[in-house]
Amino acid sequence: MSVVLRVEGLTKCYGSIVAVDGVSAEIGEGELVSFVGPSGCGKTTLLRMIGGFIRADAGRVVLDGHDVTDEPPNRRSTAMVFQSYALFPHLSVADNVGYALRVHRRARPEIGGRVEELLRLVQLEGLGARRPDQLSGGQQQRVALARALSVGPRVLLLDEPLSNLDANLRVLMREEITRLQKDLRLTVVYVTHDREEAMSISDRIAVVRAGRIEQIGSPTEIYERPATEFVGRFLGAVNLLQGDAWAMEGDAVRVQTALGMITVGEATPPPGPGERVQLVVRPEAVRLIPEGEPGAAIVGKVTSAAYTGAIVRYTVDVSGTPLIVDAHDPEHARRYVEGDRVGVRMPPAAHRLPGGGAVGATRG
Amino acid sequence: MRGRGARAGAVVDAVLPSALALVFAAGLGVFVVWPVGRVMITSLEGDAGFTLANYAAFLRTRYYLLSLRNSLILATAVTAVTLIVGFAIAMAATRGPRWLRGPVRTASLLPLIAPSYIFGVALIILGGRRGLVNVALGTDFRLLGWPGVILGQALTLFPLAYLMIENVLATVDRTLEDSASDLGAGDIRVLRTITVPLVAPGLVRAGLMVFALSMADFATPAILGGGVAFLAQDALLLVIGAEFNLRLASVLSVVLMVPSLVVFLAQHGWLVGRSYVTVTGRGAAAEPRRAVPAVDVPCLLLALVACLAVLLPMTVVGLGAFTRFVGVNNRLTLEHFANIRGLHSLDLSLRMAGASAVAVAGLGLLLAYLLARTPFPGRRLVEFVALLGFALPGTVLGIGYVLAFNEPPLHLTGTFWILVLSCLFHYLAVAVETGLGKLAQLDPSLEEASTDLGASRLGTFVRIVFPLTGTAFLAALTYAFVNSMLTLSAIVFLISPGREPASSVIFAFARQGELGVASAISLLLMTVVLIALGVIRAVARGSGRLVLGAAG
Repeated sequence: MSVVLRVEGLTKCYGSIVAVDGVSAEIGEGELVSFVGPSGCGKTTLLRMIGGFIRADAGRVVLDGHDVTDEPPNRRSTAMVFQSYALFPHLSVADNVGYALRVHRRARPEIGGRVEELLRLVQLEGLGARRPDQLSGGQQQRVALARALSVGPRVLLLDEPLSNLDANLRVLMREEITRLQKDLRLTVVYVTHDREEAMSISDRIAVVRAGRIEQIGSPTEIYERPATEFVGRFLGAVNLLQGDAWAMEGDAVRVQTALGMITVGEATPPPGPGERVQLVVRPEAVRLIPEGEPGAAIVGKVTSAAYTGAIVRYTVDVSGTPLIVDAHDPEHARRYVEGDRVGVRMPPAAHRLPGGGAVGATRG
Repeated sequence: MRGRGARAGAVVDAVLPSALALVFAAGLGVFVVWPVGRVMITSLEGDAGFTLANYAAFLRTRYYLLSLRNSLILATAVTAVTLIVGFAIAMAATRGPRWLRGPVRTASLLPLIAPSYIFGVALIILGGRRGLVNVALGTDFRLLGWPGVILGQALTLFPLAYLMIENVLATVDRTLEDSASDLGAGDIRVLRTITVPLVAPGLVRAGLMVFALSMADFATPAILGGGVAFLAQDALLLVIGAEFNLRLASVLSVVLMVPSLVVFLAQHGWLVGRSYVTVTGRGAAAEPRRAVPAVDVPCLLLALVACLAVLLPMTVVGLGAFTRFVGVNNRLTLEHFANIRGLHSLDLSLRMAGASAVAVAGLGLLLAYLLARTPFPGRRLVEFVALLGFALPGTVLGIGYVLAFNEPPLHLTGTFWILVLSCLFHYLAVAVETGLGKLAQLDPSLEEASTDLGASRLGTFVRIVFPLTGTAFLAALTYAFVNSMLTLSAIVFLISPGREPASSVIFAFARQGELGVASAISLLLMTVVLIALGVIRAVARGSGRLVLGAAG
């Protein structure tokens, strides 16, 4: 996979605030990479630097091997879909989509044909004569997409493209973007604060915090093997357990925690015996069983139970340690209420945070 | 006790709105509809019944056709100049270097608190045949005539264009320009295909406004025209000059009214569509945008030139006020300030502007409240007429007042009150509009809560509505005061010996070539206006806290 876009040490400061702090990354041909992070983490600034709307204080943007750091947006082969769509309100849908083609002085019939084609691609045939304000939010989003695609960009930049849509439409458009990306083999940089959105469409995800990339990797990688506590917490509810490395069993290490012995896989470098480590246990990996059943070595008390349809999220107090537990399929599973005493079955294996147990208990 | 009070309140509530509406309708009828009607009737009057002969005479006279043509050319030229300059300043003031925005804005708005004819005075001192420029350079440059009139009017009118354009420009979503640039458009192309079309509604409105005001202005041509004929000036001369002819003056007035009425209809959305609203609710982040030198630099330069063009004449007026005859005899003197006629006129201006400002703000707000909250028959018509008063050129209103109030039953010409009334009904619209705007933001449930708690309608207005619309009141007060102090157009027809406001005295001195006295009175007039603005602002700050305290 050849590299299409490379950013090297991109930095942007506003006064004393460092918005983007030396970000480097490579994005390959046909790849969709998301930058996720809480609002204000610098992900949109980063995207706008790639698009050429903000001048970088330091670092380079390299597109297809060419340094474009000092090129204005109109001289870069990137195309942006703005969060607000930025549809020209005084132009029809067709004129919006054909804007870039007119700028590039294409012949009139060619423009017409291409616009038709693009509108068909985003399933808006026949709406070319409308004004942007006569379209629904989802349709406006499609126009913005078609317009960005009209220039045949090497890299498509999407800035929180779904944040103005309601929940159902968001899922629909998400699938649509994935379809287009796969069909047209688009190289996409996608910015969002929605972790679920990022997980579902990305080839790789970069988790951004305070202007820096905390971790970049496939959705599976960063969910199952977060590099930092922040990444672990950002991607979903998480239980962080302190423990002491106990014994080696082949590649695995057994760790003694307050909730029993847990195995850590692929512990490289392996912790030495007695070293303090921190384990990541996702709520869905823990099981609750009635107190007194076999295997219920650990006993706790339910302190809250929140029903959300697909799961029930329990908080269980195990001798002073709060534990989050997600129970699936509540219709058929045994339900507990606040005050119930339950047995807790921990997963046999968990991921260990690199860097050991020295990390503070709550951050981010 | 409370029962009786409530009952009395109920009676008042039932009768008062209708009574007030009736008073307003009568007032507007007498002081707006009747004068305009008189102008139209007079334009159709012949020695024997109604006739179109006056119009025929107008169309047959080569001189007037030439005047009309000149006025149209002048208005077109001034409109073009002010739109370009106004757009450039709006760009500079919203997107230019941060430290320059404030100064550019202030300098550009300065003409709004200066009497328009001040530029006439300054330009004569600067560019007259024996003006500073010619004396200093030994040239024989002729500013009087077309260049002088265009420059003089452009200087007075560009702040309006700037404000109206900036209003629209500030709402343009910058990501639209980013987006066009992203799609490959160069800077000039972004300006041409995105920025300007999006600002177009503002440009059209500003253009129409400037066009109408240029057509109706007689002061600048009278001072700087150098003998070139313009229609508004002709109308003036037909009323107060040697060729006294009220019928022909009325014909000219009707012609002058046309562009103003077009503007009026346009501004209320009957001719030009509303501006483009941003399509999505969520605005773009306030990301700083990269500089666009190809557009920003020329705009900034033009804006700076315009600011200099304002400041230079102002300085010259300052110099003119303190020297014998600036450029000719530069001995410092205060003699120009010791002009009894001038000082007397300032006193009159202050009283007149004070009276009309209070009346405009108080009555305008009350009328706005009636229009917004009380349904009464003919409400739309009353609103229309109230707003129309502002749309009429001062010249037309002035001639109308001369025609309507020079005879019983309402013989008002020559009195102090006709000056106040002409200002009141000219500027009432401003208070009505700001009041309506403010009331639209005010949740009616506040008033419902007040009545629910036992207050009468009148009590609710006094206790709830008035405090909460205080900013509208002060804005209207300020506007009416400043403009009544400076106005010349309607006033000039209504003065009588010994009863002249400062504006008309300055105008008279300027026309006689008494530039020192004209400068001195102008300077005093501007000082008074500035002090008044300061006082109003201080009051606003004080009462602003009160209003906030009451609301919170």
